[in-house]
Amino acid sequence: MESQSSGAAFTRRGFIGLAGAVSATALLAACTTGGGSSGGGSAGVIKFWNQPWGGTTFNPLDKQITLAYKPPKGLGKATYQEIQWANFTQTYSSAVASNTGPAVSSGGGTQAFLFESQGKIAYADHLLDSWKKNGLYDDFLPGLIDTLKTKNGYAAVPYNLDMRVMWYNKSLLSKYGVAVPTDWDTYVAACKTLKSHGIYGYGTYAGAGGFTGGHNLVSHMINNGGGLFDSNNQPNCVTPENIEAMDWVLGLVKNGYVDPRSATYTAANAQAQYKALKFGMGWDTGGLASNVGGSVGNDLVVASPLTGPSGKKGALFFPNNIMMYTHTPSQKGSEAFLTYYYKNMAPLWTKNTGIGLPPLKSIAATKEFQSVPNNVKIINEWQPISKTWGAPGSNTVFLNVTTVDGTPAMDTFTQGILGGKVTAKAALTTLQNTLKANAKP
Amino acid sequence: MTASTAERLNRARRGVGVSGHGPGAPAPRRKSVISARAWTLLAFALPSLLLLLLINLYPVIYAGIQSIRNGDLINAGDFVGFANYASVLSSPQFWSSAQFTLIFTISGVFGSWAVGLALALLLRTRIPAGNVFKVLLLLPWIVPVVVSATSWNFLVATPQSPIPILFTALGMPNVLFLASPVLAQVTVCIFKIWISFPFMMMMMASALASVDVNVYEAAKMDGASTWQTFRGVTLPIISRSTYISWILMTIFCVNDFPTIFLLTGGGPVNSTTSLVVLAYRTVFQNFQVGPGVAIAFLMTFVLVVISVVLYRQIRKVNVE
Amino acid sequence: MTQIVAASSRPITVGQVDVRRRRADHTSGKRGQWLRFLLIAVITAIVIVPIFTVFLLSLQPSLGSTSTAAFTLENFANVFSQTSVLTWLTNSLLVTVVTVVIAVVVAAPAGYVLSRARNKLVSGYSLILFVVQSLPVVTAVIPLFILFAQIGLVDNLVGVTIIYVGATMSVAIWMMAAYFDSIPITLEEAAWMDGASVFGSFTRVVLRNSLPGILSTAIFSFLLAWNDYLIAVVFLRSDGNYTLPVGLETFFQQNATNWGLVMAVAVVMMLPPVLLFAFLNRYFSVGGIGGSLAGK
Repeated sequence: MESQSSGAAFTRRGFIGLAGAVSATALLAACTTGGGSSGGGSAGVIKFWNQPWGGTTFNPLDKQITLAYKPPKGLGKATYQEIQWANFTQTYSSAVASNTGPAVSSGGGTQAFLFESQGKIAYADHLLDSWKKNGLYDDFLPGLIDTLKTKNGYAAVPYNLDMRVMWYNKSLLSKYGVAVPTDWDTYVAACKTLKSHGIYGYGTYAGAGGFTGGHNLVSHMINNGGGLFDSNNQPNCVTPENIEAMDWVLGLVKNGYVDPRSATYTAANAQAQYKALKFGMGWDTGGLASNVGGSVGNDLVVASPLTGPSGKKGALFFPNNIMMYTHTPSQKGSEAFLTYYYKNMAPLWTKNTGIGLPPLKSIAATKEFQSVPNNVKIINEWQPISKTWGAPGSNTVFLNVTTVDGTPAMDTFTQGILGGKVTAKAALTTLQNTLKANAKP
Repeated sequence: MTASTAERLNRARRGVGVSGHGPGAPAPRRKSVISARAWTLLAFALPSLLLLLLINLYPVIYAGIQSIRNGDLINAGDFVGFANYASVLSSPQFWSSAQFTLIFTISGVFGSWAVGLALALLLRTRIPAGNVFKVLLLLPWIVPVVVSATSWNFLVATPQSPIPILFTALGMPNVLFLASPVLAQVTVCIFKIWISFPFMMMMMASALASVDVNVYEAAKMDGASTWQTFRGVTLPIISRSTYISWILMTIFCVNDFPTIFLLTGGGPVNSTTSLVVLAYRTVFQNFQVGPGVAIAFLMTFVLVVISVVLYRQIRKVNVE
Repeated sequence: MTQIVAASSRPITVGQVDVRRRRADHTSGKRGQWLRFLLIAVITAIVIVPIFTVFLLSLQPSLGSTSTAAFTLENFANVFSQTSVLTWLTNSLLVTVVTVVIAVVVAAPAGYVLSRARNKLVSGYSLILFVVQSLPVVTAVIPLFILFAQIGLVDNLVGVTIIYVGATMSVAIWMMAAYFDSIPITLEEAAWMDGASVFGSFTRVVLRNSLPGILSTAIFSFLLAWNDYLIAVVFLRSDGNYTLPVGLETFFQQNATNWGLVMAVAVVMMLPPVLLFAFLNRYFSVGGIGGSLAGK
């Protein structure tokens, strides 16, 4: 009954092709959660807040999906709110502090852990248990759910994946006879050839609002078997693996393979450099090609992960997530809504809204998703080798990650390396000291 | 004018009260109820007082409490005394940020003043379509910073940007306007001057408007040079407005968060991290609320001290 | 009464801009005029390059556009058809106009107190106004939000309007006080002698002669409320309540920004203040803002 009407709603809005799948999954959702909620619970409205994860079409579609939610009997409907990225930490903090916050939200990658430490997060353990029964749990990419596990429970559920991958311009490389690099040495060699044609081989950016440059550096550390945190989730930056990785980048900087302006480039600046054919290879998010757009965008191709000097592969990724709050009219209501949402969110990917990569195998398997080769390559080749900020100690996100994710310490480190005027060891030592001072034991 | 009226007026000037007492009767101060005039003035000030308490004072007190506790954005935390202040004052980053704040403020205040004054002097003369220029020159102040920062970034950031192309054509390739620490500071300061000079231009234009032309004629007849006239006649006349504009611009510069944050984010390697940017990043990126708010308070304290010094200067000018 | 009218109709030269004087020209002559014209034209051209850039960028086809023309009005069409930019514009105008009106209504009498009543208490008040205004806005947002959430003024245009009035108040009061300083007290004295109350003389004599001061204060408040996004982005949640600067932020996505739309909204955002300045230009004088500070 309910599933029919939500299916109809989608059809009306033009999702004809999806209506069948949607109504089927919604029916499932209604069954599973309906069974659990027979005990009642208040009919409070579930406030869902989401960020602009994609292009201009993302939030309207997301809102439609949210409002099409028909709650099981006794549970509240869902309302939708888009939250701007500008100053979103203030927005969420002030809302949570004044008890006007959402029951369910996405947000910054480490936000759940910050609020968890402040006792504001409702753990997802019960929800995940219920998902084990309805098949949703097994639909997540392997190992993904456990990246958000804390010692007290699951702080959040993976929502979309943000990857740092290697890109190259296939036309430029073939024009100058450069083979696509497979390891660090061939990467340097490729850079050398590109430089002789006035092209930078290592495109990156670390300017205002651009944290990708730092992500790339950590990605290289992980590639070499390193990373920033030990198994106790404490900072441990000055390791031989990390020093070797940073020396590699410093070598690229000193040889002029990195644009000297990278340290203060914004995302838009870097994209302009790709467009101007000044960046032949580089490291960016999975959405680079569509962000650059045009004919150059079509030439940008995701490379296979490089093999590090230690013979390992690896990269950094961010399991962006959805969290539930203790301040909710009904925890059952929050869980019922999330179950519905996860079963019906596929259009966010199949409709090409520009959101990061999907956490669910079923979405990755859709023919719409499979039709974009770069995305397929990322999911098939990069996702399995990617680690969280917790590497090498763990493959989880935790509170201390807030000391590195988009922080001044990380910016200073990154801009220092990209400026080329530091030694790897000194920069890592400074980073270590700052992180140690800021970390919670 | 009768003596009693004069007395009444004097009392009015002193704020004692105009009505309520019979003419000529000296106010029996102790016994008197507050005069009607005082009541009126109190009523005049009341709305602003309420707003001050609600909107302005409340956050200051709230932040003051935050600065002596170890809480986070949501929980109050425990009382830690002046530990946050001590840790902030002993951090090298604080002092390097203080140094850049000083550079930024001094160049922002005097740079925009000099440009604004020069343009005000120029626009004071007869120029065809002068009013059009006046409005066009105000644009940098009117445009939202989010937009102008983007536009400046577009103009200077990449080698394909217009200004680097221009510099390359002039034989100066590879000028790193934002990526070299020193040049980034220069660029940010010029950006700030660009945003602020229209305000100064208006301040100075209205100050100059009160200068009597005859004074110049007299100075000219005395054989004074243009520079001498400027030093000897113009500057003293506009000195009060100048000091006031310096105070206001000092506040605007020290508290200016978006200008810097949107153009450089405080980089490269913190070279353009001013105190307010540092405070913001400490609170909202490091989540160290106590120390971050302590930075804001130290900043405010210095600001108040500087302003009081300049304020005294104004009083002196007034006395002269 | 007659005296008051006479007094207030007397030309006041002290604080008001005398147009004839502004046109003062020491190095007269046609050639000098055109040389200065050339100079100011070049300076203006250089200064407005970044603003011209905004216009140019707003006319470029945006990402994913099928247009091949070098210039297109597509961004403007998209902004008006796909976003609630008209609602944002209405909200912005509403918030700004109400802020300006309240700011002037609050600041004018308070400024009068600062200008005319000169004692320790008033001096102290002036200093407190100064101190509270020196604390950066970014530290004030969260406490204010918590306070306003309790009284239900979150995601509400009334809430942000109150905050803007508070934020603009200190400087507005000084600006008014400074302007009142330039109005000779003899005008009020004459009114008092005619039996006018303090309130009566304030409204009929002082305010009537303060148009330039009021306009300066109004424009200062206007720009503050019009351009703010630090406060609005935290306080306003629903699309229907966005002001233009918050609406502008909707084009900034996770890793991509639709610059064409941003610039188009920016152009929309620039128009009202530019028009305002163009119309009020000759009245706008912020001179002597701190006169009341200085006077005591």
